[in-house]
Amino acid sequence: MKRLAAIVFFLATFIPPSEAQFKIPALDKSPMDMSYYPAEYPVLKVQNKISEPLLARVVYSRPQKNGRRVFGELVEYGQIWRLGANEATEIELYRDCRVNGEKLKKGRYTLYAIPQPGTWTIIFNKETDSWGAFLYDPKKDVLRTDIKTEKMEEVAEVFSMAFTKSDDGVNLVIVWDDVKAAIPFNF
Amino acid sequence: MSIASRYKKIWVLLCAAGLLVACGQQNDRNGNKVTVNPPPGTSAEQPALPVGVDKSPMDMSYYPENFPVLKMQGKAGQQPVARVVYSRPQKHGRTVFGNLVEYGKPWRLGANEATEIEFFRKVTIQQKKVPAGRYVAYCIPYPDKWIVKLNSDLYTWGLKIDSTRDQFAFEIPVAKTIYPYEYFTMQFQSAEAGIELAMMWDSVKAVLPIQ
Repeated sequence: MKRLAAIVFFLATFIPPSEAQFKIPALDKSPMDMSYYPAEYPVLKVQNKISEPLLARVVYSRPQKNGRRVFGELVEYGQIWRLGANEATEIELYRDCRVNGEKLKKGRYTLYAIPQPGTWTIIFNKETDSWGAFLYDPKKDVLRTDIKTEKMEEVAEVFSMAFTKSDDGVNLVIVWDDVKAAIPFNF
Repeated sequence: MSIASRYKKIWVLLCAAGLLVACGQQNDRNGNKVTVNPPPGTSAEQPALPVGVDKSPMDMSYYPENFPVLKMQGKAGQQPVARVVYSRPQKHGRTVFGNLVEYGKPWRLGANEATEIEFFRKVTIQQKKVPAGRYVAYCIPYPDKWIVKLNSDLYTWGLKIDSTRDQFAFEIPVAKTIYPYEYFTMQFQSAEAGIELAMMWDSVKAVLPIQ
């Protein structure tokens, strides 16, 4: 009887119905997403509504807050942070530009940040096709620049990045939890 | 209470728990709301931030498989061979091929943004030399074959592909899978003669061999 109970317990707990025989490739917990400047460029393109050239694209994965405090806890202050999840966050610039006033050549970069309360150091690194920030090598930095962050009243559950138009250029706006940051670009 | 009847109680409870788990999974699989092809058009009015997660989430597959992880572990070189970035619609109880995806019509091999394949070095597919670079991939499915196309009109939305910019077309056979794939899946993997890009959805699997 004891043995039977143990077997039933094992079956009920460890073997999901109908999936025991084969593996369904799962969806990522932190799904990937893409953001362009101009915003929604692919949609504008198929609608023949493009009024500005393609300038930038970011491909990143989107972790979720899930009730945790993000900054200062889940994402530690003063430590390199991958600005996303899973595959390293990739930014592609289709023209030479200035980032927060500093020159940056067009190309594909990995984007990192070192968050502090009120300020983030944004890092463009040339080691692409990488995972997280585990391999981060400061020798491969192409540009580092500090930006101010602000507190939001609303909380963003999902880590989000989007390009928006600014007064004199383009911002890459980044939000998660109650923090908002914007990286200014001039093309 | 005898020991036997106590175990009987536990047994019944465990069965009930097992059933609950099974029902939960069932709900999860069929109760999801799925937007496979959200029509482009309304996005401009949506707030820029914060935004919800896509119903057909994006994913990425490299060759060598899991290249970023291998690289992190010091087991891979500097450059991958290939990468695909695509979105993953779900079957959601529907018949996909011949129904949701019509035979003989262009299909975007994904959802949302057009599926993008990048070769980091030149490759050969069906004796054709394909230069290194980035391509939009799409497909014209038939019951017994797929025509997979590589197109040079990049950074577009999958619903409208300019076929005048097709660079390559490859005819590949399709196979039936024993079990249906809930999520559309693309995966680079090793093959006997090089690499293959495996594409699976519902009960269909098609493989594009690459050297």
